[in-house]
Amino acid sequence: MIEWSVLLAWIVKATVIYLGLVNVGALMTLAERKFSAWMQYRIGPNRVGPFGLLQPLADGVKFIFKEELMPAGANKMLFRFAPVIAALPSMMTIAVIPFTTKDVVLGGWNIGTFSIVNLDIGVLYILALGGLSVYGLIIGGWASNSKYSLLGGLRASAQMISYELTLILTILAVVVMAGSLDLQQIALSQNKVTDWNIWYQPLAFLMFVVATFAETNRHPFDFAECEPELVAGFHTEYSSMKFALFFIGEYSAMTVMACLTTTLFLGGPSVPFLEDPHWALQIAAFLAKAGFFLFLFIWVRWTLPRFRFDQLMALGWKVFLPLALLNLLATGVVKSLV
Amino acid sequence: MVKIIVNGREVEADPKKPLIKACHDNGADVPMYCYHPGLEPVGSCRICQVEVKQGDAPARVMVACRTQPAEGMVVDTESPKAHATRKECLEFLLKNHPLDCPICDKAGECDLQDFTYAEGQDAGRTNEPRRELDKRKSLGDTIVLDQERCILCSRCVRFFEEVPKQAQLTVSDLGSRSVIATFMDRPLKGKYQGNIADLCPVGALTLKKFRFQARVWNLIKMASTCGECSRGCSTTVEVLRGADVKRMRPRENEAVNKFWMCDIGRFSFDRHNRSGRLQGAAVREGVQLVPYPVEEALTRLRDELMREKSGAWILSPWLTIEEGERIKAVAERLGHAVCFVSPAPNSEKDDLLHTGDPCPNRRGLSELGIPAAPVAQALEALRGVKSAVLIGERIVELLGAGELAKVDATKTRVHLVDEYALDIPCVLSVYGVANCVERTGTWVNIDGVRGPISAVKAPPVGARSPAKLIDELVRLMPKLEKAR
Amino acid sequence: MVIVKRKELSLAEKLYLPEVVRGLSVTFRKMFEKPITRQYPEEPLEKTEVTRGQPRLVVKEDDSIACVSCGLCEAACPAYAITIDGGETDRAIEREPKRFDIDMLRCILCGFCEEACPKDAIFMSDELELADYSREALIYNIEKLKRPQAALQQRIDYVKKINTRWQTPSST
Repeated sequence: MIEWSVLLAWIVKATVIYLGLVNVGALMTLAERKFSAWMQYRIGPNRVGPFGLLQPLADGVKFIFKEELMPAGANKMLFRFAPVIAALPSMMTIAVIPFTTKDVVLGGWNIGTFSIVNLDIGVLYILALGGLSVYGLIIGGWASNSKYSLLGGLRASAQMISYELTLILTILAVVVMAGSLDLQQIALSQNKVTDWNIWYQPLAFLMFVVATFAETNRHPFDFAECEPELVAGFHTEYSSMKFALFFIGEYSAMTVMACLTTTLFLGGPSVPFLEDPHWALQIAAFLAKAGFFLFLFIWVRWTLPRFRFDQLMALGWKVFLPLALLNLLATGVVKSLV
Repeated sequence: MVKIIVNGREVEADPKKPLIKACHDNGADVPMYCYHPGLEPVGSCRICQVEVKQGDAPARVMVACRTQPAEGMVVDTESPKAHATRKECLEFLLKNHPLDCPICDKAGECDLQDFTYAEGQDAGRTNEPRRELDKRKSLGDTIVLDQERCILCSRCVRFFEEVPKQAQLTVSDLGSRSVIATFMDRPLKGKYQGNIADLCPVGALTLKKFRFQARVWNLIKMASTCGECSRGCSTTVEVLRGADVKRMRPRENEAVNKFWMCDIGRFSFDRHNRSGRLQGAAVREGVQLVPYPVEEALTRLRDELMREKSGAWILSPWLTIEEGERIKAVAERLGHAVCFVSPAPNSEKDDLLHTGDPCPNRRGLSELGIPAAPVAQALEALRGVKSAVLIGERIVELLGAGELAKVDATKTRVHLVDEYALDIPCVLSVYGVANCVERTGTWVNIDGVRGPISAVKAPPVGARSPAKLIDELVRLMPKLEKAR
Repeated sequence: MVIVKRKELSLAEKLYLPEVVRGLSVTFRKMFEKPITRQYPEEPLEKTEVTRGQPRLVVKEDDSIACVSCGLCEAACPAYAITIDGGETDRAIEREPKRFDIDMLRCILCGFCEEACPKDAIFMSDELELADYSREALIYNIEKLKRPQAALQQRIDYVKKINTRWQTPSST
């Protein structure tokens, strides 16, 4: 029997986090355009609302009113389902991200740590669900009955499976460091700024960040869409809100990955040089760190040119995989010796 | 025939015709203003100078329109001397010619303009003012004279002297004060006035009806035949932007009209530009004529015609022989009577071109074996049958709408194929039809000369040529098709 | 055959990471520089004498239209944008346009009409903006095209200046 207050707390947290996630996704589209504009001496969207802040809203309205197209010969069921599969996993993985390590107290009402659930196998949960998002892409690509879409979907699956390995192995190094699969524990283990995993696992951090780029199909690894070669890749044939769902999925995935990087390597909600910060400060610190990684996604996109697909594969299998294995081995050896 | 050499080529020439004719016939481009193949040459403009060498005498430059070809003549139309002389002549002609081309209707088909461009005379050398004369002198109802533009070639003067053989124009005054004028400023008379606008090599004589109406290069021109009398003068029909017929001009045809046509035919285009044409088909339902798809209307017509043994097809004499043939075949197979309306001659008959008989294809239809029926007889035939098809442009006009209104609707069902709808009780269906500038075919004139008519513009939406209408009707008659 | 000798990469370059950081630093710095975007409708372009906007018809000082509907612009127009119907007037120049339509959707602003005009009646104005809600509204009729000569004077003077180049006799 769950206590009502616990259920209510859970509902409040879930609402806030999901609304936040979707809004961050929307704002990211604006941020993407704004930052890219600034980097190119432009102004960016500035017509809708102050500083163009309402642009995502306008885009959303536009998406809703766009015509829904169904390619001839498409598998109708899968074609409709693919965007959902693509968007869902990243939305679900946000559930285990710990935004605080301390209990949040709202006017005397303790609603627990600010994460939707505290799962003791949080890392596994994230990896398991994260691995599903590739289905959305490959199903969308296949169901469109278009060569570009199919090639985009194939590339997406090849790339995501390759980098999943690196991702897992680098996360494993962190898990070895913390000795737990619970993200809460991992965050707690890096409470002091000197304990942050980034100092102990710089190589793993680097590879993890690169792998997140590949996992989320972001520049410079966005081969699944790759405009010059594949028109728009797996979502070539999509329009209207179905297309928007792919976008929401991509930006939620980015957000989750930024949160995950923060949790695994930057101490999560820990505030540098404060032993016992207030929970609000913790959330702020977490969001600041995650925000930096989100900015990094944009920053890198507008700086680096796209790789070649074989380069991407070579990097994944010939460089990152052995390095990650070695790193894990070294971590294990050192950990067992110390 | 004599043998002469034109531009290095040995050719045969008629010694009775001027040398310029031989040059033109053999591809030499000699300019001409006063000379016209249909008129006596006078050699007044001097522009047709060519270099001629005869025997041992040195080559001389002479006017080609007043020189008779003689055996062994060596003619060079492009020699530097000939060019230089022509250029000097041209300069004199242009001395008083206004720089009017932007507003001149002749621009684009003007001999003076063309040759000025060809010779590269781009600037005048005189500072004296040009003659200032009347630019809008009306010469009767048809023609406006611009005295400034006139180069006094006297083609118009000679036309009235030689063709209708009744002089009306003259060159009055002397020297630099010369102008074209009528006697005592009387307006021009007769029905051949329009020809002088065509004859005029510059824009001095213009038709009041065509003045400022269109630029000539925008007109789509097609060879056709005049349909205003049984002479069937060869014409060129000129249409602006696929909509309005702007001009009808005579087309050279030695067998029929030479270079001329009468003003009745020339200005007959007004009726082709009239609005309110019948589009598609309409069928009587209850008391009203209701617009109908042509196909369905024809199906109904077929049902009635195949059922009714007592029928008549009454044709307009404007139908072509191709259409007459089709209609005759259909009528014969249905066992219906067929005739074409032959209206009484009108009073326009003259010695030159107009025959007074308004039917352009009388001879063609008669040769097909379709009997001619005077109006009264046609109406009689109409009243005597249960079903009648009146077909062809102007058929209502010929029979008279008033007479048709008297037809007993309970006895005769009339189907009308005409340009305009006629809403009287006996008419059960109407079909829009293309007129003689909207369809192609052949007319045979009074002397048996075949003349083509061309589709210069598109008929109104849904209106078809009679031939196409009959073809569709036949296609709807399975038994007939088999019988054939 | 051309053999392109590629530059040998140093270890730092081979690692790629330092170069990535360099690239990132470049884009980061650029973020704070002044944008060069022109906010067009609020900050319109400067108009000069060579500005070649939409064609307009000259109305002379005596309020009569300079066009005589000769049709040369119509004939010169490569996009078939111009349609002219002439008519008679009582003025000294007997001809004037009764209808002068320019389909601005077809017009490619090439200026051939201006060049063809023998009467200095059509000039490329400095009007550049063209937007409306229907195609019909963008077929400009004679009333929409008329402009007083003063409004086009800058362009008229410029065209005259250019044309005198061809009128001065050459040295030969």
